[in-house]
Amino acid sequence: MRQIVISAVKYASLVVASVMMLLPVALIITGSFKTNQEFLTTGPFDAPENWLNLSNYATAFTRGGMLLGFANTAIILVAAITGTILIGAAAAYAIDRFTFRGRTATLALFLLATLVPAVTTQVATFQVVKALGLYNSQGALIVLFMGTDIISIYIFVQFMRSIPRSLDEAAKIDGAGHLRIFLQVILPNLKPAIATVIIIKGIAIYNEFYIPFLYITNPDLRPISTSLFAFKGPFGAQWEVISAGVVITIIPILVLFLALQRYVYNGFTSGATK
Amino acid sequence: MVPYLFVLAPIALLVTFTYVPVANMFAYSVTDWDGLDRVKNFVGLANYVDVFTEPDNLRVFVVSLYYLGASFVQMALALYFATVLSFRVRLKNLWKGILFFPYLINGVAIGLIFLNFIRPGGGLDSALLAVGLESVIRQWTGDPEVINYTLAAVSVWRYMGLNFVMFLGAIASVPGEIYEAAELDGANRWHQFRHLILPSIKPIVGLSFILAISGSLSVFEVPYIMTNGGNGSETFVIRTIKMAFENNKVGLASAMAVVLLAIVLVVTCVQRRLVPEEKVDLT
Amino acid sequence: MLLTRMTRATVVMAGTAAMVALAACGGGGGGGGEPGAQDMDPETCGPAGDLTVLTWRTDLVEDGTFDAYVADFKEAYPEIGDVDIQGITDYEGEVKTRMSTDDYGDVLAIPGSVSPDQLSQFFEPLGELSEMQTQYRWVEPESFEGLSYGIPVVGNVMGAVYNVEVFESAGVTDFATTPEEFLTDLEAVKAANPGIAPLYTNYKDGWPLTAWQSYVGGVSGDPEFTNGMTTDEAPWSGGSDMEVIDGLLYDVVAQGLTEADPTTTNWEQSKQMLATGQIGVMMLGSWAIPQMQDAAEAAGESRDIIGYMPFPVQTDGTFHAVAGGDYNLAINVHSSNKCAARAWIDWFNHESGFSESQIGLSPLVDGPVPESLQAFIEDVELVEMAAAPEGQESLFSDIDTESGILTTSPDYRMKIVDDARSGARTKQQVFDDLNAAWGEAVQAVSAG
Repeated sequence: MRQIVISAVKYASLVVASVMMLLPVALIITGSFKTNQEFLTTGPFDAPENWLNLSNYATAFTRGGMLLGFANTAIILVAAITGTILIGAAAAYAIDRFTFRGRTATLALFLLATLVPAVTTQVATFQVVKALGLYNSQGALIVLFMGTDIISIYIFVQFMRSIPRSLDEAAKIDGAGHLRIFLQVILPNLKPAIATVIIIKGIAIYNEFYIPFLYITNPDLRPISTSLFAFKGPFGAQWEVISAGVVITIIPILVLFLALQRYVYNGFTSGATK
Repeated sequence: MVPYLFVLAPIALLVTFTYVPVANMFAYSVTDWDGLDRVKNFVGLANYVDVFTEPDNLRVFVVSLYYLGASFVQMALALYFATVLSFRVRLKNLWKGILFFPYLINGVAIGLIFLNFIRPGGGLDSALLAVGLESVIRQWTGDPEVINYTLAAVSVWRYMGLNFVMFLGAIASVPGEIYEAAELDGANRWHQFRHLILPSIKPIVGLSFILAISGSLSVFEVPYIMTNGGNGSETFVIRTIKMAFENNKVGLASAMAVVLLAIVLVVTCVQRRLVPEEKVDLT
Repeated sequence: MLLTRMTRATVVMAGTAAMVALAACGGGGGGGGEPGAQDMDPETCGPAGDLTVLTWRTDLVEDGTFDAYVADFKEAYPEIGDVDIQGITDYEGEVKTRMSTDDYGDVLAIPGSVSPDQLSQFFEPLGELSEMQTQYRWVEPESFEGLSYGIPVVGNVMGAVYNVEVFESAGVTDFATTPEEFLTDLEAVKAANPGIAPLYTNYKDGWPLTAWQSYVGGVSGDPEFTNGMTTDEAPWSGGSDMEVIDGLLYDVVAQGLTEADPTTTNWEQSKQMLATGQIGVMMLGSWAIPQMQDAAEAAGESRDIIGYMPFPVQTDGTFHAVAGGDYNLAINVHSSNKCAARAWIDWFNHESGFSESQIGLSPLVDGPVPESLQAFIEDVELVEMAAAPEGQESLFSDIDTESGILTTSPDYRMKIVDDARSGARTKQQVFDDLNAAWGEAVQAVSAG
């Protein structure tokens, strides 16, 4: 009997929690299929008249500039992640495989930086970006995403240790230089670490709001998150269009999550504990 | 020579975008710079005095207490669900996915989802009405007594999944045989929780508790998107940004940022004292 | 977290970085175009090339109005290449941030928070003030040391836009002549139409509250009121404009005559709500009239349902209304195509038909008064605010910034609304605090 009660409580709590997690999202989804009149006159739980009404999606895509937003996000993602991987792996390679003067200091410099929350320093970072002439360009986002990411370096350093040094040495005997060792031995062996970095970094960049909000004002250069934020102005009276925009931004992440669940969980548990 | 070439780019980026700004921030914080003028006048510690005496500046510390409180609720929930799901449960992956997924959603999308959900006559009000709780209905952001609870609750909704998955991972690191052995010894679920689960996740819980403090001061996205800091919901970061970019008080904003940084550093030091970690050695 | 030991080396390194940084930030640098270096007369300079225009009218970008303007403009100047119109939702905030760099378009409207002494740092002078005044109205506020930096696109008069049927349903047919009478009228509106917002503040969007500042001068009819504030250590007292305006805001909120939940207001939706009688009145300049009329039409109502009333105060038996330029168009001093930029501004003012379409006063000295404002203008005496005396152009904004009140930012009136709702401060306490902060700033600025 007690077993049954415990079990009931367990499942009841899971169901309640799931409803709380899903309900706000579900209402945005149903809202996105309503017409403007429907949205204003029907209750939030009323089903849309036509589940195939995609006109809000069309509006969000065309007039809301979401297509451009996705394209911009893609550019930034590819550039910043490629940069992060090369830089992180290079730093990890140097730190793990060499002893050199200033190695400890270098390491300490990276470690200390993890303690500085980026959100606090933007007041001053803004001036640096401006002085470099990067304001209102995607370059600003790319270098900021690359340059302030210490977590990936940490992940690479961790992983680097598991790559046997004998591999480097074998390559060295074959006459490979350091650059070739890095490119042909280290990078391929870092694949699992690279996958982790791509996942957590990719999601983080895709979702980042503050940095693009601060550094990009030209609507043509905006990534997806600030494109969506801009919906609040012109579509303020059209919540059905805003809803469609929200759903559109969630879909890529949902697909990624469903496809790569295990990696996503692993990535975040290893990434978050730093 | 070689290692220097490999660390050159990372160090250059690190210095340019982390250390130079931090140093500049200290420099700005003792001036009256408005962000535009060519001249910056030295004003000593006046900005720091402002941070701690101006009532509007002090209020943001109060607001962060709501989020601090919320992060305890968040951890309790995460712990509960992590424990439940570490035992045998049907549809385990489904529950896990549902609880975690909100963490992956864009902050802007979350802000908009909840603006829609809590608007008067929106989903939340309708749901409460449907289950006969209409007396609970409030102006979720309109009532100054309620607004910060609402926003903090959204934050719990958003971040609970991350805590949960981390706790779950820590619990899973206890080998299954130990549970089996415990069960054979007649230990019930509570005993298993108390003597096996809790110790295994203690370090991570400790870490989360302490991170909650700096986290609650760094709240930005959701309140900014949902209320723009209106009606008494201004957080530390929102105020810093408004001061820097709208009110032309870069000096004051820098002082606020320095204070925030100092708090984060102190908290981290304390954490290091309280929660010694095994997996920290990089060297 | 991964910090094991903070080495001595780290501290040294951080210190070095700090020194490098300090050295680096010492020199400021301008760049881009030099003022006056380019010929800007569209007749002779031959407008060509690409142009970037920043605008606050996202609605007109969205509905294609700007596309039509661009097409017409290109017809007039066939050499012009791409015209990139960037609509910005939070215009004040975003453009202000953007102006701390060189990249803020070629043509833009001067944000309200730029003080006159900063104009030359950001904008290209468009001509001598005295000469500009023969052609354009309201150029003075955006001028400094005899040079004009911006031309208004349209002139506004400051009253309040209301739903005629809603007020008539409550038996209110005459304009209120005192704030008290206005409050009584709104009570009547509320009683006759339960559930509506007699007055809608549009709190959440922020800027509609900032607009209340534009009534300053319209209470007393004193064109010198703003200038007078620079020496007044307690401007929120003695029935002054500031006290009356902010007092009305406080009272109307405190008496529950505004929207129930100000944090969920929605500007685009408010137009519909006014048109359909869910809102009685909104305190907005005459620029809002056409947008409200459009909304009325879209909602199947008559355009005539939208009326315009003066601010509810009479001085010496007459209503006063401040008339002034809306945003002033200006040219980025760093622009590389000032010729085309100037051509756009001139074309926009003379040829585009923008001010007529907006039912505003024409910015041209000999421009016509639109028909639908005719009646309103006959009821009121127009006040044009005087410019600051020479040498004191930035005094008001210096005091404003120093005091931390910032009358150009929405936060200050949002706080008044917050206090009126919660009762955290009484009206008098609000005024006392404002006076204290302002008085201190007046002294600090005059001393320093």
